[in-house]
Amino acid sequence: MIQTFKEIYDYREMIFSLVRKELRGRYKGSALGFMWTFINPLLQLMVYTVVFSVIMKAGIDKYYIFLFVALVPWMFFSSALTGGASCIMASQDMVKKIYFPREVLPIAYITSGFVNMLLTFLVVFAVLIISGFGINPVALLFMPIIMIIEYLLAIGIAFLASALSVYFRDLQYILSIISMAWQFLTPVMYSQEMVEKQLAHHPMLLRLWNLNPTTPMINAYRDILYYQRIPELKTLIAAIIMGVVVLLVGLIVFGKLKRGFAEQF
Amino acid sequence: MNKENAIEVRDVKKTFKVYYDKGTQLKEKLLFWNRNKYERREVLKGISFDVKKGEVVGLIGHNGCGKSTTLKLLTRIIYPDSGSVEMKGRVSSLIELGAGFHPDMSGRENIYTNASIFGLSRKEIDSRIQDIIDFSEIEEFIDNPVRTYSSGMYMRLAFSVAINVDADILLIDEILGVGDAGFQTKCFNKLREIKQQGTTIVIVSHAMGQIEQICDRSIWIHEGLIKADGTPREVHPLYMDYMIEERKRIEEKELKKKRESGEIFEEDLVEENNGAANNMRWGNFYSKFKKVQLFDKEDKEITSFSTGDSVRIHAEYECRKTITDMVFGFGIYTLDDVWVYGSNTMIDRGENFVVEKDGSFDVILKDVPIMPGKYRIDVSLESASAVTVDFWRDTLDFTVYSIIDDRGIFRIEHDWKTQA
Repeated sequence: MIQTFKEIYDYREMIFSLVRKELRGRYKGSALGFMWTFINPLLQLMVYTVVFSVIMKAGIDKYYIFLFVALVPWMFFSSALTGGASCIMASQDMVKKIYFPREVLPIAYITSGFVNMLLTFLVVFAVLIISGFGINPVALLFMPIIMIIEYLLAIGIAFLASALSVYFRDLQYILSIISMAWQFLTPVMYSQEMVEKQLAHHPMLLRLWNLNPTTPMINAYRDILYYQRIPELKTLIAAIIMGVVVLLVGLIVFGKLKRGFAEQF
Repeated sequence: MNKENAIEVRDVKKTFKVYYDKGTQLKEKLLFWNRNKYERREVLKGISFDVKKGEVVGLIGHNGCGKSTTLKLLTRIIYPDSGSVEMKGRVSSLIELGAGFHPDMSGRENIYTNASIFGLSRKEIDSRIQDIIDFSEIEEFIDNPVRTYSSGMYMRLAFSVAINVDADILLIDEILGVGDAGFQTKCFNKLREIKQQGTTIVIVSHAMGQIEQICDRSIWIHEGLIKADGTPREVHPLYMDYMIEERKRIEEKELKKKRESGEIFEEDLVEENNGAANNMRWGNFYSKFKKVQLFDKEDKEITSFSTGDSVRIHAEYECRKTITDMVFGFGIYTLDDVWVYGSNTMIDRGENFVVEKDGSFDVILKDVPIMPGKYRIDVSLESASAVTVDFWRDTLDFTVYSIIDDRGIFRIEHDWKTQA
């Protein structure tokens, strides 16, 4: 395991260059180019605002912000699941013909998604400030922690999804359904309180529901940006533990499966 | 691992599953788990060898013998079923050139990407980039997108990166075909330079000449096992002999098949064939060739032989009308119709014959010095008064092989006297 970490570190330049290639290549050839990284979330935010404050009024104050601060990290996570699944297959020419630590591919894919999320958050901050919603600077200090946790969680998930997809090609399609279901099982469009109220008489179900590793993470984002408060220690610790567990499981499974990648293509 | 060794391969076995109808979909895996019929193909049956630091080794063998699999195991793209492969130091491979090149990025940016795939850090790339650009000879285009490059430029750039990695172990699979002749020479010289610096190199190639020029040692892999291991001078003749035997065997099999299906010696070529309709055979056919064969010294029918071997052309004919002054002749041509040699009984011995019944003649060709290639034989029956009885072009093809890599049309026996 330590050997693997060392090797990944030796290949850090490969990760950087893959990320650069991914980010620069994404909007290549379009007229607005890299600006799409900002325009895209801004337009999405406008759609949500119109839908939820004019057409379908939700019972939550400033629902579009409530939704959006959770949706941005969720989209990053779900791309780790669905896009991450195909990242080994997308580079099969390289995998077939050249040696490098295979972990580099999912790590680079997730890292470019992560950078993309950071840029999207610039839009979120701009909206929060311009709309007068405001930001709590003290709570904001916890942002990097939760982002790093999500980053590790996403890498763990991408390890699992990408390695398994090489052996079961259907998985990548199944995962897009799983990703949708997972979104509904995570408090992205609704709040944690609503679930706790619903499941008040079913403590077992509630405990089960709380085992979802994305739940504490999304709650922490919403605490910081929407409720503008420091996330509860309980939430943070739960998020850290789950992130690390998923990462380790992903790393071990990936390590077992990667030896056979080249023979699967 | 022994300190002197750069590579240690110990009893490596590798079997591939060859699926008849592979189901990779989950549905197929679940529903038809027993339908995934496959055949196990044992590619490597237990190979062990060491490569010392700084040694340059060539892996040879016919297609499918397992040499490329061995190289892939060394690259760590695939892993052995049992046994171990140990390597010491940074490994670079000239197997996939230009891995990860992005067409929209400039040559310079692609150098960074590509070199990073070999595990170089940014600092290491910075210190090498000028060497890489110089070697690739595309200085002036280095900041243009790679998609604007010609394929030659593309390969040159890719080769330059791979060869400037400064690896401890360099693995090469048939790559010395990059670019024009000038660049190839340059690559070859660069390889020599790298060898001088003490890099361990393993090459897979079919070009025996190249291996002889650069390798200290050849390993001949045959059907998944090492058949011979030694200096190229010792191993290559063994390998070439085997290849010639193998080729003979295959061609004889084909010959037999053709003969059985009656393709070769048609009993009666239609008389009307003389003239323009078929300019492969003409004459008045008073006598007619029945069959023409080539034999080696042991009287075995052959279609190929090695430069310097003695062979015998045997021709049988049937007689339809008596001819009193028959002259037998033969000719040898290259496939592009260069007349290599020809003669007849009149020229050689001033002889002609009375032909009243079926018969045959033999021409014994001694120590045939023609160089490797494909040739064809013509045979002729003529009267001394120059009336063509049966002139049959292209009766037979044969192939000449050689283990010596000299050039030209004929092998001229020679000696060297040098005063160096």
